[in-house]
Amino acid sequence: MAGNTILEAEHIYKSFSGVPVLQDVHFEVKVGEVHALMGENGAGKSTLIKIVTGVYSKDEGQIYWEGRPVEINSYQDCQKLGVACIYQELSVIPPLTVAQNVFLGREPRNGPFINYNKMNEMTQELIDKYQFPLKPTTIVDNLGIGQRQLIEILKGLSQNSKLLIMDEPTASLSGKEAEMLFHIIRTLREQSVSIIYISHRLEEVYMLSDRLTILRDGKNAAVLEKEEIIPAKVIETMIGKVVDESAGSRKMLHSDDSKPVRLEVKNLTDKTDRYRNISFQVHSGEILGLGGLIGAGRTEVVRAIYGVDKAASGEVLLSGKKLNPSPKLSIKEGIGFVPEDRRNQGFIPLLSTTKNVALTNYDIVKINGVAISDSDELAMSKRAIEAIDIRPSDPDKQVGVMSGGNQQKVVLGKWLMRNLKLLIVDEPTAGIDVGAKDEIYSILERLANEGVAVIVVTSDLQELLRVSHRILVMRKGNIVKEFKNVEVTQSMVLAAGQGVTENQQEEN
Amino acid sequence: MKQLSQTAMRRLISVIMLAVLVCLFTILAGYGQGKFFNFANLIEVVRDASIPAIIGVGVTFLIITSGIDLSTGSMMALVGMVMANIYEYTLWPFKVMVLFGILTGLFCGLINGIIVAKLNVPEFIGTLATMSIFRAMTYVIAIRNVNGVIKSQAMNHSEYVWLGAGVGKFYYVIMAMILFIVIGQILLRYTRYGTNLYSVGANRKAAVLSGINVAKTRIIAYMITGFSVAVGAVFTTARLQSATTAIGTDFEFSPIAAAVVGGAALSGGSGDVIGTLIGALFMATLENGVRKLDMNTSFQYIIKGIIIIAVVIFDATYKTRMERKAREQGAKEGLE
Repeated sequence: MAGNTILEAEHIYKSFSGVPVLQDVHFEVKVGEVHALMGENGAGKSTLIKIVTGVYSKDEGQIYWEGRPVEINSYQDCQKLGVACIYQELSVIPPLTVAQNVFLGREPRNGPFINYNKMNEMTQELIDKYQFPLKPTTIVDNLGIGQRQLIEILKGLSQNSKLLIMDEPTASLSGKEAEMLFHIIRTLREQSVSIIYISHRLEEVYMLSDRLTILRDGKNAAVLEKEEIIPAKVIETMIGKVVDESAGSRKMLHSDDSKPVRLEVKNLTDKTDRYRNISFQVHSGEILGLGGLIGAGRTEVVRAIYGVDKAASGEVLLSGKKLNPSPKLSIKEGIGFVPEDRRNQGFIPLLSTTKNVALTNYDIVKINGVAISDSDELAMSKRAIEAIDIRPSDPDKQVGVMSGGNQQKVVLGKWLMRNLKLLIVDEPTAGIDVGAKDEIYSILERLANEGVAVIVVTSDLQELLRVSHRILVMRKGNIVKEFKNVEVTQSMVLAAGQGVTENQQEEN
Repeated sequence: MKQLSQTAMRRLISVIMLAVLVCLFTILAGYGQGKFFNFANLIEVVRDASIPAIIGVGVTFLIITSGIDLSTGSMMALVGMVMANIYEYTLWPFKVMVLFGILTGLFCGLINGIIVAKLNVPEFIGTLATMSIFRAMTYVIAIRNVNGVIKSQAMNHSEYVWLGAGVGKFYYVIMAMILFIVIGQILLRYTRYGTNLYSVGANRKAAVLSGINVAKTRIIAYMITGFSVAVGAVFTTARLQSATTAIGTDFEFSPIAAAVVGGAALSGGSGDVIGTLIGALFMATLENGVRKLDMNTSFQYIIKGIIIIAVVIFDATYKTRMERKAREQGAKEGLE
């Protein structure tokens, strides 16, 4: 099947404000192949794709389409060539029918009127050709996410696209929906459509791809042919052997079971099946790391424990007392929560440090008659600034203009002002510089020493190993692996999250 | 199980609401001559519903794009007053007067559209401002007597008198309304422009990616609203045979209310013109019935308000339910 090259990107360089993101990257897709693109978060995958689709401009390098050099300066340019991108956030119009969505903006017409018969026929032809489980006249409102994604693919195909780019297409799909997508991908390959498949999920990549390009730190790490795609090798290449032998990638875990159980979760199950039968304990003074791929259900579990979203069934017990979680109750009981999306959920950008720190603590701020005591509020924020070295140390500074690290410290600071029993942090150092990362780790460690139970959700493997006393790995909504009192490496955690090793055989 | 789409579900609900209301008033206010349920009174209801429905066509287009226009009432007064000036100070024929009225409406719509879609002023604030401007302009050009006091301008062109009436009980305004609804529905369902309106309202980013000119789509929707307001103004002044500065004071609200009751969600992407007709009929029935029951007419406004809130709550909960269903369905397929 390996025939001519359809897309080739040569010597691509790109940097953002002086920081190189891509360096001398070479990427080639052949006609009718499924070409996987892998790499850790921040390896440069999405930057490369954005350059190919004209969202970013490249600093250096050349792109060839069917052997001809081309300039791609906008998404329209790349559409004209015959590239279609299937976005993670779907761009279907729910109140319209399948056919209306497929031909949106290009409806066949009779005079001024849309020719629905012709449009439905044309859609049906495409559906038949590629065997999609869809009907042209169904209103998209009634369809599941998997089928909506197929509409996007169909839309690309209706424009005679020769190359489809799929970015984490199975991230929000159920097992059955993913199966359907894989079937379609194979059909497309038979029809000589090329596919760039970006995924964190190794098993999908093994199953589907003809070739695999791995990026690491913005450089080509390897291009593997089908028979060379071996799980252990891929993981090694992604992480990089050099890193794997360094201190940050291997650690002896020690957890202390003698301390009392602070949090116990029993059979927590989601309404929409994003996680099921989650049971675990966290001891006082313990930092529990929750690892796994993005979309494995980790964030959903901790949100349910804190009570932002309700679980369908299961129990949450804090120091043996059963809770009916809600944010208000959790705060009262001494549970702190640092959300994943810091800017939108963690703090109020337009308010000062003082107001942000006081936000969850108005029950303990002194009240003079009816008015909040400004001096007490200020004293609290000064304590927080002092305790964790928030910079700038001006309590009136708007949090929105601070650096990411200091913003996160403000978010943490408000919980430190309370009598905390359990702290849940979700991706605590995303987008934070190295120095501030270490400070945040030491805050977490200090809390643990004081007897607080801590749950850390993180996709950064190095971080997971660095802070955790014990590690649970989630995969597709289940806890699949526990690392306790053993030596653990990044590869072991990654493999467990990917469902390689013993879980690979497991039927989902 | 076959799942009704939100559109079909809402149509069913608004039809049932209208039917229940008609039955309720027939039972409470009786049938036969002089009562609620008789031919003459029902035609009156339709006549009362006509102008909100005509303006509702434009407003529905806007709401589908997730837009809104709060200036329709003031615009109506301004159009009426422009025509009154032409009547008072020129000898131009009736048709030219109406033409100028229509052009005024289109121009006001264009202004709204540019402010909102080109200058990116939020719809609510932009049209709130033009609501104030149009009303003030009406006062500025109002015709005054020698003492400078605004007088109600009588307009009794013979053609105008004719337009305010109809063929027997079939008022021309009802015919115009039917024409508006039919053409509006065809535009929505059978032209590219209609599809574009839904796309712009339901997923603006996707509309842009599909090459739809969002600003143009929105400006045209404002101009269609301006046109429908102008037609509403022509029929209103024809019925009153005069133009006053107070015309249209309820018409900021009633077309939006009709569209919302008829199934257009303010979040955009849903609703259609037939729904708005049902909504307008519902509101007119409510007014008429309350009058026939000799209740304090203020009650109708309270009931209207409550119904609108109920309908909006329904739309919001139904939408979240549908989204959850889609996710659950996907998850269930995964477990089979």
